[in-house]
Amino acid sequence: MSKKIIPFVVAFILVCLVMAVAGVFALSGAVTAEKFGSNVVWTQSYSTAESMKVIDLTGDGQDELFIQNTSDVTVYDGSGNVMWSFPYSSPKTTLGDVNNDGVEDIVVYYVGTGMSVDVISKGQVTTLAQTLSIGFPARVSVIRFSSGPQIVLGDSSGSILSLGLDGQPRWSAGLGSAEVRGMDDALIGGQPHAAIATNDGAVAVFDAQGTQVWSHSQEQLRRMRAFDLNSDGNSEVVTGGEYGAFYIYSAVDRSMLFEKSLGQAVSEVRVVELNGDPSSREIVVGGKDGGVWAFSFDGATASQMWSGSLSDKVTEISGLDINEDGKEEAVIGDDSGKVAIFTENGTRNNLPSHSSGITRIDIGKLGGERYVVIADGSQVQVNKVNFNSIPGFQYTPLIVGLIVSAVILVIAAIIASIPKKPEMKVSFQDKSRESLEAERRMLKESIADVERLRKSGEVTGDAYLARLKRLRADLAENEAAYKAAGHQIKVETFKCPNCGGTLELGMDKCEYCGQVILS
Amino acid sequence: MEILCLFGVIGIVVVSLFFYLLNTARKKAPPTPASGKKDYTPVYVSIADKPLSIIQGMDRFVAEVNRTEKAGDKWRWVPMLIFFGGLGLAAIDLLLLLFGFFSFVFTAGGILLWIAAFVMARSLRKSDSHDFSPRYKGTKEILRTLRDDLRPGSTFLGHLDLTGAMLKTKVARETKDTQNRTTQYFRDEWLALKAKLYDGNVIRVSAIQKSKQRQPYTKRSRISGKYKTKPAKFKGTEHDLKVRIVVNPEIYQIGANPKVRQGQNIGKYTITALNTEGGIINMIASSPFDEVEHEGILNVLQSAYSLLQRKAA
Repeated sequence: MSKKIIPFVVAFILVCLVMAVAGVFALSGAVTAEKFGSNVVWTQSYSTAESMKVIDLTGDGQDELFIQNTSDVTVYDGSGNVMWSFPYSSPKTTLGDVNNDGVEDIVVYYVGTGMSVDVISKGQVTTLAQTLSIGFPARVSVIRFSSGPQIVLGDSSGSILSLGLDGQPRWSAGLGSAEVRGMDDALIGGQPHAAIATNDGAVAVFDAQGTQVWSHSQEQLRRMRAFDLNSDGNSEVVTGGEYGAFYIYSAVDRSMLFEKSLGQAVSEVRVVELNGDPSSREIVVGGKDGGVWAFSFDGATASQMWSGSLSDKVTEISGLDINEDGKEEAVIGDDSGKVAIFTENGTRNNLPSHSSGITRIDIGKLGGERYVVIADGSQVQVNKVNFNSIPGFQYTPLIVGLIVSAVILVIAAIIASIPKKPEMKVSFQDKSRESLEAERRMLKESIADVERLRKSGEVTGDAYLARLKRLRADLAENEAAYKAAGHQIKVETFKCPNCGGTLELGMDKCEYCGQVILS
Repeated sequence: MEILCLFGVIGIVVVSLFFYLLNTARKKAPPTPASGKKDYTPVYVSIADKPLSIIQGMDRFVAEVNRTEKAGDKWRWVPMLIFFGGLGLAAIDLLLLLFGFFSFVFTAGGILLWIAAFVMARSLRKSDSHDFSPRYKGTKEILRTLRDDLRPGSTFLGHLDLTGAMLKTKVARETKDTQNRTTQYFRDEWLALKAKLYDGNVIRVSAIQKSKQRQPYTKRSRISGKYKTKPAKFKGTEHDLKVRIVVNPEIYQIGANPKVRQGQNIGKYTITALNTEGGIINMIASSPFDEVEHEGILNVLQSAYSLLQRKAA
């Protein structure tokens, strides 16, 4: 192939490769220029929120911000004004319509006159029960059993007490011997049950009478939540262990649907609709060392979508469709005050950091606008999260590909225009018979010289062979020149069929490569 | 820390590439090797022609090499421009980053352009040639000087080998010392010339460069116990010039010249062997100098010829 053509062929192949890769990136939509930002709408001082929810607590159709820490329960209106605030000692709270008025009430399990339970309905506090035979508050939940709602309390030593809406105990149970770490309603055959887990790894599902449907013991446990991930009327119980075990059980019979070791304690588990596909549910898991994983549950089992990281313990995860593409983004906070948004493919976008660790994040409408509410160690902050993107940016790989391709073609043209470097072995040979004969004589004298030098030990080994090879090649060229000039010549050389080195006629072994020559 | 290291490595690569391309653009010659020998164009000239043809051919060859080099020269700044183009693309990503958007597309394109610039610079450098050795020009001068003495119709025969004095194929022998270190002895017959002269004499000239180099070796330090590798050490070079004149007995007889005898200095050369028996002058002149010029070779030839005495008619 001509030297002028080769650069263009190579360039063409490279251009095809570049454009193919650029096309794949452009058409897959993998390349985007997106950014998430946030503007603070209002801020209130509030120390270390333990529970927080944007929810309508007045029945006026407008959401309020409910928030609770270790010393009070407070509700802010949409503008950040305190609607009511009640002091409590070590309260644990849950939300649920206890008095059946169609408005969510706040159920508070706290240390009062013994262990007590209050219900706050539209700002009115009613004490439901006092001096209950249960320990220090750990968890409370309103479970809407088929026989009627019950308030289920869990204490710091694994005791469970269920109350009717009249405040009378219905049943009690014991589960393990450590703090209740998770309490959620779990569906079995469409009927609500109570899924409860303790810190020492005991997990159990109870029915309305307090009977254990099943129980199980696993590694020490940090988080337990129950979701009906495939909407089949049977919930899945998701647990995160102290040593990284992440399990998904069936709430029906505790059969294991998925398990994975994450290598660090699981500090938070939430469901976020990352891919916008209603046939699957995505679970985002946060770790104690900042690890973030997303799993997709397809109805039968889960598979990992991506993993990412934050710089400290993940303390809260929440889902919000910020760019309104039908897919939620995971808003994740950590113990160092960092807040980041993870998109469907795991791309991390940072929001402004907080000066203390994030304790709670929730998303909801306040005053008709959707906000992200972030509580840290000292304040609660309501943010308007915004999203910006450069339209058509996904096609930039094609533009870049074209630029690179153009440069490659220009380079090919330049390289093709440069003449071939001349051979560094030049020969000036007169073709007259007399001259060729003289040259032949000279070459034979030179060969004899080399032989003499070898015999005298002045030249040995490779140098002798290299010089001999060159002189014999010159002799072969001389013979060729003889023939080309039409003179008679007795050929005295031949080429080694193996290495191509020139040898003298009669030799039966190549001196250069050792090949035995049969002729 | 890891990110800093990564950026450090990337920075070093980019700066190295910049200076490589800059040196390509400025056609900066590589530094002289440690042995102090400048690199010359490695050329082998096979001589079997009339003096004029050889001289013209050698001039033509130089012109051809220069033409190739000049063809590449006009594009030497292009890789540098492509490098800046790549930098411009990467700057777009930087600009996007300042606006809060993260993108790597333009940087990726920039990296591809840098690779393309590097490939082009390599190609341009391949078209570069080193200077021609002074021996190339010196040989031409020798041929020019001797051309009028050449028998009409005959040719110069031989070769001019400027491929390098210390090639592996030119190792004449090797020795090992008591510490098992290998010393290589190189023998480079860089010029071989034979000519039938106008007066019927036949002259043969061989210029040989003999070099010596100790090979790299590894030894263990007596103090620290660490293994250290010592580089190759150039131990010196010398030149031999062998002249053989087969005298035409019909015209000349070999006489004596007090200025031409063993041990006599002729320019940079010293006559180390002289034999005039059998109607043939065999002379070996040696020089301890790193380089010998063509004038020195011609002087030795002239001295050898001065031993001839024309017979009375």
